[in-house]
Amino acid sequence: MTGNSFTGTQRTSRAALALRSYGIVVALVILVVIIAIIQPNFLAFGNLMNIVSQWSPVAIMGIGMTYVVITGGFDLSIGAVYTLCAVIAAAVGRTEAPIVAFALAITVGLAVGVINGLVVTGLRVNAFIATLGTQLIITGLTLVLTGNAAFIVTFDQFKVLGAGRAFGIPYSGMLMVALMIIGGLILAYTPFGQAIYAVGGNKEASRLAGIPTSTTIASSYAIAGLCAGIAGTVSASQLSSAQANLNPTIVFDVLTVVIVGGTLLTGGSGAIWRTAVGVGILAALQNGFNLLNVSPYYQDIIKGIIIIAAIAQLDWRRLLGPSMKREVAAERPEPTRNKAEFTSTLSKETS
Amino acid sequence: MTNTSEEPDANAALRVRNLSKSYPGVRAIQDVSLTVRAGEVHGLVGANGAGKSTLLKAIAGAIMQDSGSIEVWGKELPGGDPHRAAEAGLAMIYQELTIVPDMSALSNVLLGRLPRRLGFVDRGKARKEYAAAALLVESTVTPSSRAGDLSTAAQQQLEVMRALASGRRLIIMDEPTASLGPEDIRRLHKVIGTLKTEGHSVVYVSHDLGAVLEVCDNVTVLREGVVVQTLPANEWDHHGLVRTMLGEVTLDAAGPPAPGDALAVEPFLRVEGLRAPGVDLALLEVGRGEIVGLAGLVGSGRTRLLRALAGAGTIDAGSLWVSGRERRWPRTPRQATRMGVALGPEDRKAQGLVLGRPSAWNVALGRFGVASAGRPVKLEGLIRWATPATERVGFASSRLSANAGTLSGGNQQKLILARLLSRPAPCLILDEPTRGIDIGAKAQVFDAMRQIARDGRAVIWTSSEIEEVVHHSDRILVLAGGRVVAELARGATVHDILDLSFAATSAAERRTAAAA
Repeated sequence: MTGNSFTGTQRTSRAALALRSYGIVVALVILVVIIAIIQPNFLAFGNLMNIVSQWSPVAIMGIGMTYVVITGGFDLSIGAVYTLCAVIAAAVGRTEAPIVAFALAITVGLAVGVINGLVVTGLRVNAFIATLGTQLIITGLTLVLTGNAAFIVTFDQFKVLGAGRAFGIPYSGMLMVALMIIGGLILAYTPFGQAIYAVGGNKEASRLAGIPTSTTIASSYAIAGLCAGIAGTVSASQLSSAQANLNPTIVFDVLTVVIVGGTLLTGGSGAIWRTAVGVGILAALQNGFNLLNVSPYYQDIIKGIIIIAAIAQLDWRRLLGPSMKREVAAERPEPTRNKAEFTSTLSKETS
Repeated sequence: MTNTSEEPDANAALRVRNLSKSYPGVRAIQDVSLTVRAGEVHGLVGANGAGKSTLLKAIAGAIMQDSGSIEVWGKELPGGDPHRAAEAGLAMIYQELTIVPDMSALSNVLLGRLPRRLGFVDRGKARKEYAAAALLVESTVTPSSRAGDLSTAAQQQLEVMRALASGRRLIIMDEPTASLGPEDIRRLHKVIGTLKTEGHSVVYVSHDLGAVLEVCDNVTVLREGVVVQTLPANEWDHHGLVRTMLGEVTLDAAGPPAPGDALAVEPFLRVEGLRAPGVDLALLEVGRGEIVGLAGLVGSGRTRLLRALAGAGTIDAGSLWVSGRERRWPRTPRQATRMGVALGPEDRKAQGLVLGRPSAWNVALGRFGVASAGRPVKLEGLIRWATPATERVGFASSRLSANAGTLSGGNQQKLILARLLSRPAPCLILDEPTRGIDIGAKAQVFDAMRQIARDGRAVIWTSSEIEEVVHHSDRILVLAGGRVVAELARGATVHDILDLSFAATSAAERRTAAAA
């Protein structure tokens, strides 16, 4: 529609942009193909469904984290909220109906999220520090309340959400997909979702244009808390038990899937589908490693490299430029010609 | 008349020869020559946009000149190199001081050059150097006090001491009296007197003509990037300076023809007793269909007043009537917008737009729900919705899907205007809508403003270019020191406004001086 009005240079930059935008999808496809070639069992239906079930808590929390990161914020506390909610679900689920336990756990998650939002916007504490503080408080609180005891639920209905399947598809996976679709649609197509992008893109301009910036930012933390509550509930249901040391590093997995997907920590850009792709990459890698019997220690090393590679913006031109200049200068010591050649190669690259 | 360029180089602190600098579309300074002798205090005056800032930046090495040479204490500077300028003995004291607030007064004065012994700071020597500089400027600030806790005057003293301690003997002061009280100004002038007897030279740049005439030996007037005249201070007087700053250009006194626009004015906004940091406004009434322009020198409080009106800045007191009903003062821009007052901010990039998002999206910013009529927010819908408003301001519809960051300054400004146009707000506030945009875009901005007024809305706006305010406002409020010092009808001249501004700036200082 507007394509024909773009000039040539803009079209090439558009192609480059498209590659930068969707390159991550290409990466996921290549990864899946490689793993499938080496180990065809990877694509077995049962294996895929196990992956989905295993990664659904991280993916669900990734939705909330994506919202927070797009506003330009950060939520370190969701791992602690996840554990607290799992423990609550299990503790209450021992005696009460699962629906009551789940509802209570999810409500607590939402409430902690709201508090996080108020600390960040109302008390104007830097998001990193604020959620580092609430993370410590919540973890401590969980230990105080439980004494690090494990709560084991013996009701079979309690397991349905996490471990139940219909036609071989886990309910937790269906829930994950449903939440991602809802979260994605809200972010992409509602005024609230656009306000999330706006405050992350330019907070002052958004404020002056009449967007309630504090409410918008606080809401993103509330959503993150809600997602952590749901994820904790799913985990408790999957395991039929929960303990304060459930999964202390889950927050880093969540952050990794968001960042690897391409949502920028600087705020203002990102998407839920990106987080979904990020989950796909991490899940495929981990499962592939397990199928190929790679030691978990090596897995961590490779994960670390992937995180850095996803964020790194290598300016090849700048890296190559000076060395090129040096080589040319060493070979031919005529300054004017060198300079002319150098600039012509540069302009070729930039055009 | 003194012809300074013929004097020998030996005792010249600063010698500028045929300096020119252009920006795209603007000749900022042209063929400027200036000489400041050792032990001389040289005043530099000119209206907004006369080229003072450009000249100072070029001398200090902050920008590279297009042509011309600069010599400081006989040393030729390469241009565009602030370190070389400092080494040659030049110290620049900007209006925005460069004090490090969390460091001590001593560390600030000896910033980056604390004396060392065996790799450690030589405290005794540092104290001695500090004391020597303090004696010269008669500073009583204890070396250990935290710089950020000091008054502006004391911080300014630290900057002068920093220059002295590093042996730099040409000090350029940009608007040194802007945020000082009368007592501090007196002390500053005394310090300048002392520096002079020590053989130091000072370039004194100020809007406060009274102060310039009082402290300077010679005064140079700049106009439109050109040196108009340099004379000893005792041969200048206040009116002579203003006249020279404005020149003999015949100013169009009539303004653009639009007499039919003066509709029966129905007051929409009424503000009484507004007090905010740097603003003290007794009364402001704005009618529908009216364009009210604020004119004033840099630092006269125009932006602060506009931001206060739009709920974007904090206020201490003030009453507000909208369409005859008293309302609570808006505490956020959102509340102001709901009351019908919308702001187009001063800094397009930092305050106006989300640069990484499409143009149409930026027009709809803050009103996505309305723009998409309750349906899913999609770019095509936003483009359809934004098109009427962007067409009215002359923004090419084909660019509505391009990111705002890829547009020129003029097109970015049109986006902000389109955003304001698309809101139901009856009162639009435009802070510097013409800054840094080309003449064609300016004409479209003025045209849009006129259209907005014709729709029966009120416009309150300002520009640093006083001539624009004169030509495109129905009514002009002259601001100085945060107060409205005069209200002029259409047909006022730039000369009137500058005369009033300079008089008010000096008078305010005399008044407070008398009180003190």
